[in-house]
Amino acid sequence: MAINRDTLTAICLLLVCGGLFWASLDIREPDYGQLSPATWPRVILGVFGFLSLIYLAQSLRQGADAPNPDAPTDLTSFIAYWRNVIWCFVLFGAYLLAIPYVGMLAGGVAFVFALLTALGGWSRTPIHVAVALVSVGGMWLLFTHALGVILPRGEWTGF
Amino acid sequence: MIWDNLLLAFAAIGNWQTILLMITGVGVGLLAGSIPGFTIAMAVVLTLPFTFSMPPEQGLATMISVLVGGLSGGLMSGILTGIPGTPSSVATTFDGFPLARKGEPGFALGLGVWSSFFGGMISAVMLVLFAPQLARVGLEFQPWDFFMLVIFALTVTASLAGENLVKGLIAGALGLLIRTVGEDEAVGVGRFDFGSDYLLSGFDFIAVLIGLFAFSQLLSDVRDPTKATQALTQQRKMQIRIEHRRALIELWKRKLVVLRSALIGMFTGILPGAGGSIANILAYDQAKKSSKTPDEFGKGNPEGVIAPETSNNAVEGGALTPLISLGIPGDVTAAIMLGALLIHDIVPGPTFIQEEPALVYSIFIAFFAANFIMLGMQSGMLRVFVLVTRIRMYMLASVILGLATIGVFALNNAFDDVWTLFWFGILGFVMRQLGFPLAPMILGVVLGNIAELNLSRALAIDTDLTLFVTRPWAMFFAIIAVFSAAFPWYQSQRMKGAGWTRFYAPAMLLCVALPLSLMDGWFRTALSGVAVLTACYLVWRATRTAPSTT
Repeated sequence: MAINRDTLTAICLLLVCGGLFWASLDIREPDYGQLSPATWPRVILGVFGFLSLIYLAQSLRQGADAPNPDAPTDLTSFIAYWRNVIWCFVLFGAYLLAIPYVGMLAGGVAFVFALLTALGGWSRTPIHVAVALVSVGGMWLLFTHALGVILPRGEWTGF
Repeated sequence: MIWDNLLLAFAAIGNWQTILLMITGVGVGLLAGSIPGFTIAMAVVLTLPFTFSMPPEQGLATMISVLVGGLSGGLMSGILTGIPGTPSSVATTFDGFPLARKGEPGFALGLGVWSSFFGGMISAVMLVLFAPQLARVGLEFQPWDFFMLVIFALTVTASLAGENLVKGLIAGALGLLIRTVGEDEAVGVGRFDFGSDYLLSGFDFIAVLIGLFAFSQLLSDVRDPTKATQALTQQRKMQIRIEHRRALIELWKRKLVVLRSALIGMFTGILPGAGGSIANILAYDQAKKSSKTPDEFGKGNPEGVIAPETSNNAVEGGALTPLISLGIPGDVTAAIMLGALLIHDIVPGPTFIQEEPALVYSIFIAFFAANFIMLGMQSGMLRVFVLVTRIRMYMLASVILGLATIGVFALNNAFDDVWTLFWFGILGFVMRQLGFPLAPMILGVVLGNIAELNLSRALAIDTDLTLFVTRPWAMFFAIIAVFSAAFPWYQSQRMKGAGWTRFYAPAMLLCVALPLSLMDGWFRTALSGVAVLTACYLVWRATRTAPSTT
């Protein structure tokens, strides 16, 4: 019996299902209402668990994954393969963490510039700066002045 | 009454601001549609935050314009570069690109532009005619029926969305589960909050949609560093004139293809989960099968451009029909439209047309008007589309990620929503990589509350669970849900030549005849009789032809 990617996914789904079912036991039961607040999630979890079991059985039947020459084999090749996606996640996460301190305008410009540079390299830096300033700046102006939305201001920057 | 409603709708959207927004919307849609990797749903969902401060009529008109533009934008890059701008214009490239390479790009574009226009117009007419009729039927639905309708919508979406039905169903169940996080709407009890205020307030479903769909799609688009930094085409100049007159004459000669493809598009759109990506292939296939010169397909046959382009534009009229008449979206973009309505505290359902006539009629008018705007803009903006295909994907992705953050924050002025965008972007990306279709999940998120609310209402009226399968409409939806779930299996078995597959359609007709016969009115009884007779005929025909294998 060979374990493949689908098998691991199915096991993860079953664990999630079990965990959430456990959590559903903490849902408070009020004295009113016809349908308990826990019923619907448990119905879904029942179906979800059943489907995950079928998925697990399917994955076990299909055998090992076919060898993929492009697939990363070690950590270095994994990072190289997913480099752009990792950059997106890391920079976006950093941007969200920085917003309370630098605000959405400065943070947004910095994020777009950093991501453009991370994905496209340093060779087009002036274009990247312009694109970041115009896109985020324009959007900030539109939302703040035309639509009247107060976007988050930075604790450090004040805007 | 209709005239009053039309006047109300005109008053709501017949102003220069809305017209300007619609022109901008069509332009944005056309540009988005012409960029391969940038889907129509992504364009519509990213437009949503901009519409929250608008009156609902204006917001919906803007979103419909983006949608209509997006449906047509894909044909430009498909015909000129051979790279379809959107999945719904894949079949257009089969003959559009060869026709352009044969030295007739102007004719090919003319066919595409006018086919899109007629597809959109036919579906708009049918939307106006069908939606009120379907809403009248919807008034008969009770909570049991609505609950089963949601189950049917999820099942059929799962069976059509991906190669693996189980993965589709898991995605749908996950969508339903995501919607249960936070306070229960009926009694206000917290669920799966783990003591966190963020989880207790639940996920804003627009942020979830943008994360799942747009964020994860952009990440997939930039995964390959080489492709991310390359321009999609190297074309710099293009001297093409769209041949309108010749295209119109050709379309007139092939009006049957236009009509048939529009009907295919319309009915594919009504079916939950099946969108333009399926309709364009189906229409192309039908055009090829019914053509006198099928060998000419793939070599620049005009019908090979007319059929897919007519059908993919007709899809949205179909997808909006169940949304307007029943409150059930026909596809992902219609689900986003539902989101736009919910932002304004408008919950569509069978009484939607009666309660919000100005809004419904402004949707109808906007749909017609957007098609005219699209026709004008597509003809005049050809050079811009060619320029757009020279943009590098990494630039587009970076800018859109930055803008999406601002847009999502603006939805509720809540910073938590931006984190929701992030987490669901990750989840959507992982699911894509693992081969889970996102359409059932999105529908699950959108329909989760409707299902739970109707389940709760049904049980409050009567605790008898058998009503979910014995009431005529509930039984009807349960039967077609079972048959649609079995459809991928039936298809694979049919390809292998399994003998029993010849009895699949008759069995479905016979089963469907039962709830129809239980419904009120002579028409449904007659329909049930027709279904039984058709089933008998199909069984008779199947038994006369010997099975190839068993």
